[in-house]
Amino acid sequence: MPIDFLKRLGLFFVFVLAQTMVLGRIHLFGYATPLLYVYFVAMFNRNYPKWAVLLWSFAMGLTIDVFSNTPGVAAASLTLIGVIQPYFLEPFIPRDSVDDLRPSIRTIGMVKYVYYITVLVVLYCIVFFSLEAFNFFNWMDILKSVGGSAVITLLLILTFESVSSK
Amino acid sequence: MHNLLEFLQKYHHWFLFVVLEIVSLVLLFQYNSYQGSVWFSSANAAVGKINEGRAGMESYFSLTHVNEQLTMRNFYLERQVAQLRRLYGELTSDTSVLERQELQFLGQYHLVPAKVITNELDKAENLITINCGSADGVDVGMGVACGQGIVGVTYLVSDHYTVVIPVLNTSSRISCAIRGHGYFGVLRWDGKDAGVAYLEDIPRHARFKRGDWVETNGYSSIFPPGVLVGKIETVYNSVDGLSYRVKVRLSTDFGRLRDVVVINDKSIEERVRLLQSARDSLKLNVKE
Repeated sequence: MPIDFLKRLGLFFVFVLAQTMVLGRIHLFGYATPLLYVYFVAMFNRNYPKWAVLLWSFAMGLTIDVFSNTPGVAAASLTLIGVIQPYFLEPFIPRDSVDDLRPSIRTIGMVKYVYYITVLVVLYCIVFFSLEAFNFFNWMDILKSVGGSAVITLLLILTFESVSSK
Repeated sequence: MHNLLEFLQKYHHWFLFVVLEIVSLVLLFQYNSYQGSVWFSSANAAVGKINEGRAGMESYFSLTHVNEQLTMRNFYLERQVAQLRRLYGELTSDTSVLERQELQFLGQYHLVPAKVITNELDKAENLITINCGSADGVDVGMGVACGQGIVGVTYLVSDHYTVVIPVLNTSSRISCAIRGHGYFGVLRWDGKDAGVAYLEDIPRHARFKRGDWVETNGYSSIFPPGVLVGKIETVYNSVDGLSYRVKVRLSTDFGRLRDVVVINDKSIEERVRLLQSARDSLKLNVKE
């Protein structure tokens, strides 16, 4: 268990640094920002304690928030993803698979994985940008941000997935 | 009782979820009030250190350009000073008075140099973090400017870092005037183009033209009078038709902001106290 915990902690820092140093500064066309840290939550394997998933996602969201001066925005939206992930993963898993299966292209197949990750990322982007834009009702801007960021995040995640599954 | 415990055990992660969401939302709403917590922002020491390292690295890449700009600006200012001094000398045939006045004027403001360590342009509520804090004499509500012009107002201050609300923040309001005409209004940003802001509440009888300079007017006691803001690009009517809404091309390039100064006005305390007492007495009068 401690080994698993340490590995995840390492991964946590890699994601935080990647986001705050590089990815968070990219604003393609002024709208598309890769929010790669959703991948961290999507990676939790089946039957991982639900409370632990929640705490990890909350910690990740809060750390991102502190760096980008958006207190509560990423924390609230990522915790939401963290509570959905275990339930949402269940229907994609083949019946005769191992208990601690990690969702990836290799384990659940390309089509299912793309579907799984797309829903999580799009949902995250919608919640994140709506919360961020709270007092700034400009629907076109929110939609553009959601669309742009979701697409670029998905592209990144799928690239990582296809590289690591080989 | 047993059932309750079982229920709690089965659904404990839902309670955890609710608690965490409440914590996030409290953070979200609390921070929107003016005095938020320093700990959950980039003004906290650990985050500041990391960002400072990154900004230090990045700043090397733009040194050439910064140097170029500084030289240009320096040249321009020197020429202006020389010209003004000549004009003043011609008018009064006494140059020493002006120098004394200049020194006195500058002595009133204590300038704290700082470096920008985080900067954003893409949001409606952009914030900037700079690497000086209360240890350097910075306090909440001080003006921040750079060589090209106005930047913003300090918002959260920790020991060594400060978060600034720049002009490019929809909640920023800075009192400005049109140079040479004296008409003043409030500078606001609409959350779209990072190169323009809008000067609102300019009276209808004001006469000015496109290309006029906009500068701070010194009424707010945050900025000294005469800090450059930008150039007038287009003039619109306000929504209610009672005043002008002026589109200002900002002279500060927020995209490549590196070196700034915090303006610490020593007379601010006195002015705030005076204003407060004036307001209090007004309230008393109304009650009577």
